[in-house]
Amino acid sequence: MTRSLAHEVAVIGVSCTKFGENFDQSLQEMMVEAGTGACQDAGISVDDVQAAWLGTFSPGFGGGKATITLSDALKMRGRPITRVENYCATGTDAFRNAAAAIAAGKYEIVMVVGAEKLRDRAVRGLQREGIHPYLESGSTAPGLFALSANRYMHTFGTDRRVLAKVAVKNHANGALNPKAHFQTKVTEEQVLNAQVIAYPFGLYDCCPTTDGAAAAILCRADLASKFRKELILVRGSGLAVMSGKPFLDPTVDYLGFPSTTAAAQQAYQEAGISDPIKQVDFCEVHDCFTWTEITNYEDLGFCKKGEGARFIEEGRSSLTGDVPFNPSGGLKSFGHPVGATGVRMIYEIVTQLRGEAGARQVKDAEVGLAHNLGGPGAVACVVILGRES
Amino acid sequence: MKGIVGHAVRLPAYSVARDEIARAWQIPSPGGQKRCIRFDEDSLTLAATAAQDCLAGMDGAHVDGLLFASTTAPHLERLNASLIAAVCDLPAACATMDLGSSLRGATSALQTALSLLGGRQGGNVLVCAGDTRDAEPGSGEEMLFGDAGAAIAVGEQNVIAELISVATIYDDFLDAVRRDRDAFITSFASKFSADRGYVVPMQTAIQSALKRAGLTAQRVSKAALTSPDKRSHLQLAKKLGLAEDQIQDILFNDVGLTGSAMPLVLLSAALESAQPGDIILVAAHGNGADALVFRVTENIREYQMHVPTSKQPARIQYSSYTQYRKAREHFRHADNGLEISNILYAKEEHQNVRLHGSECSHCGTRQFPVTQVCVSCRRGDQLREIALARSGTVFTFAQDELYPSPFPPTLMAVVDLAGGGRIYCELVDCAPSEARIGMPVDLMFRKFKEGGGLYHYYWKCCPGRGL
Repeated sequence: MTRSLAHEVAVIGVSCTKFGENFDQSLQEMMVEAGTGACQDAGISVDDVQAAWLGTFSPGFGGGKATITLSDALKMRGRPITRVENYCATGTDAFRNAAAAIAAGKYEIVMVVGAEKLRDRAVRGLQREGIHPYLESGSTAPGLFALSANRYMHTFGTDRRVLAKVAVKNHANGALNPKAHFQTKVTEEQVLNAQVIAYPFGLYDCCPTTDGAAAAILCRADLASKFRKELILVRGSGLAVMSGKPFLDPTVDYLGFPSTTAAAQQAYQEAGISDPIKQVDFCEVHDCFTWTEITNYEDLGFCKKGEGARFIEEGRSSLTGDVPFNPSGGLKSFGHPVGATGVRMIYEIVTQLRGEAGARQVKDAEVGLAHNLGGPGAVACVVILGRES
Repeated sequence: MKGIVGHAVRLPAYSVARDEIARAWQIPSPGGQKRCIRFDEDSLTLAATAAQDCLAGMDGAHVDGLLFASTTAPHLERLNASLIAAVCDLPAACATMDLGSSLRGATSALQTALSLLGGRQGGNVLVCAGDTRDAEPGSGEEMLFGDAGAAIAVGEQNVIAELISVATIYDDFLDAVRRDRDAFITSFASKFSADRGYVVPMQTAIQSALKRAGLTAQRVSKAALTSPDKRSHLQLAKKLGLAEDQIQDILFNDVGLTGSAMPLVLLSAALESAQPGDIILVAAHGNGADALVFRVTENIREYQMHVPTSKQPARIQYSSYTQYRKAREHFRHADNGLEISNILYAKEEHQNVRLHGSECSHCGTRQFPVTQVCVSCRRGDQLREIALARSGTVFTFAQDELYPSPFPPTLMAVVDLAGGGRIYCELVDCAPSEARIGMPVDLMFRKFKEGGGLYHYYWKCCPGRGL
């Protein structure tokens, strides 16, 4: 049996930069804003942080691949910093590792920073590094997810109109969020008539390339009351790794992401959740493309395989539905700076659990789930947080 | 008995109407269309596809020689025939050689291949040719030149057309010249060139071959004669005393003049409609001439081409002259910066070029690429390397507008290979509206990128062309 870390780790501070085309901020400046912001939120100084985890996919100029990116930004010297890179699940995985270190009793207060600067590259879009020159030639992120979406839609007879509903919902939520990359509503017709990127995905079916950073301060649960009056605990977490090349695996059915299901099972078990639709109040999930959110409903166990379309059509995932998905606006509207996204989800869940989400506040939010997906379903990470009453 | 044991033609799926070229340059059009490469094809890929199709029609017959003829081979130093032999997954002891610079390289190769028989391990020898001759934009030759590949296998077992005689002559005549530093040929096309540089040597070689065979021109069932233009072969036929129905159509209206591939393309076309007892003459010109005479055997009744010419129509037409030029210019100017070390190339040649994968003896799962642990039962002690099938069905696909391409969208397919194994590759020669889950596809070796001083080739797939 693995030892549960439920109820041992508290989140006492969170912060997030404005997401968007942050042309006037460097990666380091965004890290400083998020990192010091989270410390202020927790009522501590950077010197109180005993160890840090940096989640970043492509740290870029000056920092190389190493942890010094964070050390040089915050001048956080002489302490352990670990860099986590796990595709688009980087942010939640950095958080998961930090939480595990607290639960193990190694540290009392640690910091997680997720940061990414995608908009100062010479080439637009996500830089894909280390792909096999032959076996993966011709692939792009939308193209890889379109392989799944097309097979799914072929199997279940799903219409593009259903996908468009995800974009409409998440843009509407983002319009209520002052930190979102896009704060404009879109109509179903706009989504359906937009330029095709990789069929079935049009422009509005795809998340943007975004700059941003987010940070969280974690501490031992028994010490949390020294810093914050409310108590928000990590209830469970899970990480599952599948293949980075599902297109070569003849056992893959392309109807969803088993990595999500496996990661969720780990987290549910730790959190004591047997019926997520009743026990989880809202979710921040990985909607890199509209269809991804549809399969997430199913893979996370909120409905059966093939019923994701009905789940959104019935409005169950809307802000006023029984389980709001992506009240923040999601990757679709809030933006997707790869390594930052997972930590940004933690920021949103904590904000909601504190009841500080303003116009996008989820009613009676007590348990929130964050879900990150990396690669073409290669990696999934799920984190569940809850407010103790 | 020595002779032909298999044949195949590779006609590109793309074409351009000659009227489009005429419109662009404000010149008269001779009508019809010519076949032309997609941006990811070259003479090597055309020949390699024909070579594979030829082998596929021969029921796994042993091959221990491969000769490649082209005037537009992609490599001046790097044995093109060795790469084609690897694509065909031939054994290392296979004799390989390139024949360049001659329009009659393929018929010279055919003579060489026939002379190699018997002295080796008793295997067949494959002759393949491909050409993508690029004429100067706006020139008369641009109207004429088409792209194609072809392959002829020769051997001593299951011969479908027995060799009766050969003849060859050389003549350093100046009719079409391309020096080492020229992109296009310098043409001396004229009545004089057609007579003195084409008809005279062709007539001499053909009459010599027929004489050696003890045959008259009247006995010839089909004469596959290359031509430097639309009609000089008809002048030649008249000189030889051949009637119109004895002449193999040179496919001018559909394909064009296909350089060193042309004699094999026409020979294959002649064999496609041949009957036992037929006499087939093939002759090619180019600084002299080669002529070979064959007698068709009873085995022709049993022989089936893997991909008949009728299954290779022009599926996609370049909508304008500019589009056609763009396809030809793409690799001339594109360096995609993809550098692949020769270490990786050597290490992965079996999977990336020969299309080898693994089969697990525990659970029977075939998988690509070569692997150390079974993707299905996760055991690693009973995997053996195998050659995977080169056809399959589309499991799913994406129509990607984002991937950089001279002609977006890029269709990417996940293909389940016949007999097992799954591969991810571009779907080519297919209109986006034609792509379907479940559609049958053939794997085809194509260029995909350039960089580090190399053309990079890999497998792609196209709509199934089989019977």
